[in-house]
Amino acid sequence: MPDWKKAAYVAAQAADARVNVELEAEGMTLNIGPQHPATHGTLRIVCRLDGEQVVWADPVPGYMHRGYEKLCEVRNYPQINTLVNRIDWLGSFCNEVPFILAAEQLMEVEAPERAQWIRTIFFELGRQANLILFLGDVGTQLGAITPVFLAFRDREHVLNMIEAATGGRFHPNFDRIGGLKDDLPKGWLDETVSAMKRVEDFCDEVEDLMIGGTIFQQRTRGVGVIPAEVGLEYGLTGANIRASGIDWDLRRDSESPLAWKSADFKVVTHPDGDSFARCWVRLQEVRESARIVRQLCEGLPAGPIMAKVPKIIKVPAGEAYVETENPLGVMGYYLVSQGGLGPFRLKIRTPSFNNIAIAPWVLRGVYVPDVITILASLYFILGDIDR
Amino acid sequence: MGLVEKGLLPKPLTKLLNTARSYSLWVYQWGLACCAIEMGAAFGSPRYDVMRLGVIPFPASARQADFVCVSGTATDKMAPPIRRLYEQMPDPKYVISMGSCANSGGPYWDSYSVLKGVDQIIPVDVYVPGCPPRPEALLEGIVLLQMKIRGEDMAERWRGEPLVVGGGLEHGGVPEEKQVAVLKARKKNPAPA
Amino acid sequence: MTATDAPATEAPAIEAGHHQRIVDGLRGSLGDAVLDVVLERGDLWVRVDRSAWHGAFEAGKRKLGLTFFSFLSGIDWTPAPGLSGERTFKGEDADEGDEPVEEATEVRTGLAGGDTRFQVFARLFDVRRHVGVTLKADLDDADPSIDTVTDLFRGADWHERETWEMFGFTFDGHPGLRHLYLPAEFEGHPLRKDFPLLSREVKPWPGLVNVEQIPPHLDPKNQPAAEAPPSEAPASDAPAADAAPPAEGGTE
Ligand code: SF4
Repeated sequence: MPDWKKAAYVAAQAADARVNVELEAEGMTLNIGPQHPATHGTLRIVCRLDGEQVVWADPVPGYMHRGYEKLCEVRNYPQINTLVNRIDWLGSFCNEVPFILAAEQLMEVEAPERAQWIRTIFFELGRQANLILFLGDVGTQLGAITPVFLAFRDREHVLNMIEAATGGRFHPNFDRIGGLKDDLPKGWLDETVSAMKRVEDFCDEVEDLMIGGTIFQQRTRGVGVIPAEVGLEYGLTGANIRASGIDWDLRRDSESPLAWKSADFKVVTHPDGDSFARCWVRLQEVRESARIVRQLCEGLPAGPIMAKVPKIIKVPAGEAYVETENPLGVMGYYLVSQGGLGPFRLKIRTPSFNNIAIAPWVLRGVYVPDVITILASLYFILGDIDR
Repeated sequence: MGLVEKGLLPKPLTKLLNTARSYSLWVYQWGLACCAIEMGAAFGSPRYDVMRLGVIPFPASARQADFVCVSGTATDKMAPPIRRLYEQMPDPKYVISMGSCANSGGPYWDSYSVLKGVDQIIPVDVYVPGCPPRPEALLEGIVLLQMKIRGEDMAERWRGEPLVVGGGLEHGGVPEEKQVAVLKARKKNPAPA
Repeated sequence: MTATDAPATEAPAIEAGHHQRIVDGLRGSLGDAVLDVVLERGDLWVRVDRSAWHGAFEAGKRKLGLTFFSFLSGIDWTPAPGLSGERTFKGEDADEGDEPVEEATEVRTGLAGGDTRFQVFARLFDVRRHVGVTLKADLDDADPSIDTVTDLFRGADWHERETWEMFGFTFDGHPGLRHLYLPAEFEGHPLRKDFPLLSREVKPWPGLVNVEQIPPHLDPKNQPAAEAPPSEAPASDAPAADAAPPAEGGTE
């Protein structure tokens, strides 16, 4: 090597070294959002990075804050029913049920048995519509585009069934205090049972294509581990806490008037608590949900669908807290009534709010690509965080 | 093209250019709330297939997009990013506002934190009503936008005067005399609808 | 209960004495600071003194197995006659034998009572025994502040920030009470009863209009040649329009 080349090489090395010293990687702040595909919705996350590692992360919610709790104080009960549909917009019917149950508790009316069964069927259809999109979406976050197309394709089968009975594709507004708006159309049950076949096929497809695949497993296993005690402290619910090994599902464990007790289903748990466990639990939940719907469709009792309630709904004074196991986790309504046409105060306990509040804890120390994986597997819906 | 800015482009050529533009629209998806899912169903699902209309979803950034579909509730906190996004888009740019929330505030019309429609911050070309609108409704909105682009006088657009669809006169900060002139001109030769 | 078949999945049995155990445990740790206990519809409400708020959480978490933090929020008991729901039904719709709603004008607090305008309430749950409790505490009207519980339940962080933002309660010892939902320059506490919703004051609820009148210049009667475009209906959940076109409309 001639001398000048050697000298140039040394100079280049020195320049490199200088750049490495000057480029202080610590303290770099990365802003993700508020509109970013990885946050499916308008969540903003501010991360402080050290090189590739997150040292500190702070989610900034509120870009979708619509003031539900205040609006519910100035609306009457039928109007609130419309409004609460839009909290978790993927499984809308599931938002109506706990609110209606809370109002029914205070009014001391109980919906007839058939109405409770149909409610349960729609609840599970809402769960499927929600979680199917999750399964597609989590693929997109990891770079697999196909599952989301499959999800949108097969979600239509569920939405079609919801639409056929309620008229709304995903804001059904079908539940009423004391029962349901309408009975099911003719032939609906058979159609639904065959739609469940499609849903199960979708689960198999996603499992073959994505969840069972090596790439997916390597990117999610051991990433974002949440121990059970920490999860409980943060109030994690739903698949997130079941993936940490806590066997708790309100469908089975609470005295709900809905018809889950009449169906045979498994509560799926996973001991690992990592991103993979959360995705896997959700996949199994869709399968179990399809099983529930099939059983309920086959055993649906006959009878009326509406109990006797006054035309103008006034809820007697009192307080009630009702929670159900929604697709995202435990959703509860704390209803305070003073005998008026609308609630005096309605506290809405949404699952995503707690589920995403753990983000600062779980994102500390992970690598930037894993931020996306963890957020996707924690699974939140912005309307559900911000209300 | 100087001809375009001076408004000297011959009519047939304008028509040709407009037709070309109307069938190669890159759409930026500004999904905000529930309506975003229906927009996703329209753009992302095989059942509704927007590409047959010449609309290409998923551009890499707003800087490549021809129109933006604002779907969902725009809150006061979200307003500055929406405005900023719109300013990043290259001209000519169009806006479809999808859903009652984006049109007028929708079910949250009386909330303390919700904008009463995105047309308070950016000019809107097509309003798609519904809560949520079905994907088919969004497709119809896109067809309407294309019709509008085809009937457009490009010179007017590129001189920076706002196009008025459905009475959005108050937008864009154009002085009133000018607005009246625009209206008069439009009355003389109305756009084909 | 509608279950007819035997439950297929075995739930861990819920013992009847769990609520009593919680009450006894809280009484044992806090003594007189437990002000009121209500058991209604299978759910438990306990009101504690605000000095014992932190102690109640500590006893719940460490001794009573209430390890799951569900939510924390506040309530403003100021009577708000104008706010309790919409009067959507008027005229002939309203004569269903329903007497008019009487408006509360004096403060009526809910379960487990209360002495002051503001209360905080929070819910803890035991995921093993499936039993929960709602804790309540009164706050001082002039200086609504209370101890934070973030050192016990880290999930309370966001809930306390939200309550601070919505009600203006301060939580002593909280690591950083910043705005959560609203932009930093927002003024006021929206969930207090005296926070006005300005849009409503400017304009009454549009759904009160039963049938919207066609504007005169669009009325087909006035313009026989022109085609009447469909009138813009307000996005509303108004009761189905009656057939009679000149219905008593108009906003109140
Ligand atoms: S218009 Fe309706 S569906 Fe669309 S974002 Fe608003 S509330 Fe949701």
